[in-house]
Amino acid sequence: MIKFLKQVGDYAKEAVQSARYIGQGLSVTFDHMRRRPVTVQYPYEKLIPSERFRGRIHFEFDKCISCEVCVRVCPINLPVVDWEFDKATKKKKLNHYSIDFGVCIFCGNCVEYCPTNCLSMTEEYELSTYDRHMLNYDSVALGRLPYKVMDDPMVTPLRELGYLPKGITEPHDLPAGSRRAGARPEEILEK
Amino acid sequence: MNLAEGVQIVSFCILSLMMIGAALGVVLFENIVYSAFLLGGVFISIAGLYILLNADFVATAQVLIYVGAVNVLILFAIMLVNKREDFKPLPNRLLRQVTTGLVCFGIFALLSTMVLATPWAFSTAPAAAESSIVIIGEHLFSDFLLPFELASVLLLMAMVGAIVLARREYIPDEILPGLTRPSGLTLPERPRELLTLTSGGKGDLRNQKPASSTKQPIDTNA
Amino acid sequence: MNPGIDLQGTFIQTLRDLGLPAGAAKAIWMPLPMFLIIIGATVGVLVVVWLERKISAAVQQRIGPEFAGPLGVLQPVADGLKLVFKEDIVPAKSDPWLFTLGPILVVIPVFLSYLVVPFGQNLVITNLSVGIFLWIALSSIAPIGLLMSGYASNNKYSLLGGLRAAAQSISYEVPMALSVLAVVLMSNSLSTIDIVQQQSHYGILSWNVWRQPLGFLIFWIAALAECERLPFDLPEAEEELVAGYQTEYAGMKFGLFYIGSYVNLVLSSLLVAVLYLGGWETPVPIEFVGGLLGLNETSPWLQVIDAALGITMTVLKAYFLVFLAILLRWTLPRVRIDQLLNLGWKFLLPVSLVNLLLTAALKLAFPFAFGG
Repeated sequence: MIKFLKQVGDYAKEAVQSARYIGQGLSVTFDHMRRRPVTVQYPYEKLIPSERFRGRIHFEFDKCISCEVCVRVCPINLPVVDWEFDKATKKKKLNHYSIDFGVCIFCGNCVEYCPTNCLSMTEEYELSTYDRHMLNYDSVALGRLPYKVMDDPMVTPLRELGYLPKGITEPHDLPAGSRRAGARPEEILEK
Repeated sequence: MNLAEGVQIVSFCILSLMMIGAALGVVLFENIVYSAFLLGGVFISIAGLYILLNADFVATAQVLIYVGAVNVLILFAIMLVNKREDFKPLPNRLLRQVTTGLVCFGIFALLSTMVLATPWAFSTAPAAAESSIVIIGEHLFSDFLLPFELASVLLLMAMVGAIVLARREYIPDEILPGLTRPSGLTLPERPRELLTLTSGGKGDLRNQKPASSTKQPIDTNA
Repeated sequence: MNPGIDLQGTFIQTLRDLGLPAGAAKAIWMPLPMFLIIIGATVGVLVVVWLERKISAAVQQRIGPEFAGPLGVLQPVADGLKLVFKEDIVPAKSDPWLFTLGPILVVIPVFLSYLVVPFGQNLVITNLSVGIFLWIALSSIAPIGLLMSGYASNNKYSLLGGLRAAAQSISYEVPMALSVLAVVLMSNSLSTIDIVQQQSHYGILSWNVWRQPLGFLIFWIAALAECERLPFDLPEAEEELVAGYQTEYAGMKFGLFYIGSYVNLVLSSLLVAVLYLGGWETPVPIEFVGGLLGLNETSPWLQVIDAALGITMTVLKAYFLVFLAILLRWTLPRVRIDQLLNLGWKFLLPVSLVNLLLTAALKLAFPFAFGG
């Protein structure tokens, strides 16, 4: 009898405890309701990508020496380097260069290892197309200057978390002249 | 005849037609699922007739118990069993159908003569619409106490039986020589403990183990 | 207790003064409150859909619908219009009759249940003596519609969803009916009007929620399960069953399920308000306030204010509960089917039985506080 009563008591205790946990969960969700939305109204507002953002790769045709290092460091040997040996100058002459961004994983190895810095990461991330073959960028497309959020008059650029002052998570309605936490890159260079 | 009576007669006709039509459908449809759904229609029409008789509590109880519980249980049984069976055409089908029709008609005639022959005592007292629940309750706990309690005992028995059927907790620990196949009385189902031990798709793994070890729970599915 | 305004009596009297017979006057009156309630329920659905989207957004720190109308209030209207104009697809191998009948059978009982929801002393379609019992009976019809649509879709997910919905609905009806029974035990009547009046004497202190805390919780959990709201939405658990019994539905038939589920949510909230939160009563009794201000409680304008206040209070309480349901939706994870049935049969049913016994005992011991 006492054992049974103890069982009932334990069961009741567990029930009360789970009810308390539900109450805690409710208080968490209720607390979230008074927080400001973090929504970025995308086509009208865009976040400024951070400096280390790995977007579409930019390629400078004239700098390339057709060394194919980018192909060797690429996890899937993606860049296509079409060159021929120019007997007159005894140098490789680059004909075409292309990267298929439908396959690229934006790891940045090619940019890292390029000996002449002819590859670089941009902040462009709006790569959507109607056909996946249109993602196969040739050297002309790769050489285009990237779209900048700050230059678009239709778009309100919003600062990303990395550009916000310390303790602020909300990019709307920032006071003028507020600067990011920590030192800016040029200040680090000056030191 | 004023408006209220006219509405009553019209709704009585509609409800009766609905009920008879649905009842015929229950009997005559080939598809058993249609029959089950139409049975719900019969119950609902009967509830409507009860409402016409000012018996609102009985009507509501009819909907709750017959439509909400009995009919749903029937549907559950039909849908969970899911056994599609092709019935073989029986010999003398016509004869059987005629006999069935005759028997049914006989019962119907018997009942109708009974209804017509009985000198019904028409109650002149006004229908107790407002306090019908109180009156029903008083009757249930005074002069109808024995049937009421018997019905509850019957329900209790049914419930205990259902629990006994649902909880098969007897699991033999060792393989008995004569028990490798489930006998006719046990349902072909894996015992509960095994289910918890081998849940998560490990049933195949366990079947590959050599069956030579003597201390092994019986897998009735094996 | 003042009688409140009697719209029906006044209306019929006016028509009879115009020379109509009494029966015809009543026949003209009868459809009016029904239409009013149907329109009210539909508008209530629109409001609830908007609230659901806005509150869900707020809980997740989003904005939610914003561009359709001010604050996105027209978004549910746009959704509804879209559903109306969508193609009405009946799958090729489905059963067209049952496929059409299923959603209708789900929606009609829910709207019928509004017969017994009171918004004031005389602001109810009919004051039936079976009252709340009618709602319990009607809500037991819905599983048939769910089974029907699940079966007729000829789709295994639909069938499973329909079976789950019916099983859930049946299991949670029992504790719900038992907790309603405890309330009925205290008010000595099944009529919703009497249930509210029994809670009306001391304002907020006499609400049933203080005398029936267990019953309130059980009823609310069971109501959430009946409405297939989120902790119990496994009939349409999209990770497992695509959309349950709604999988094959499109257009207005899907819209009927949609309307049905939200009307059912509002209805359950209204009934929780009626059964446990004092219905149309204000937290401070209005007679008391009138007495303090020295007003005659039979004066016409006070009656009108009283009625308006009653409707507002009922709707406010109901929408508070809807808000709670939406908050619960984003707080609790979905239960598994075995957890659901365990909770229903092994926890709620015994607890509601104990609650019923306790209420009966307390009623015998303290008849003044628990209804003589």
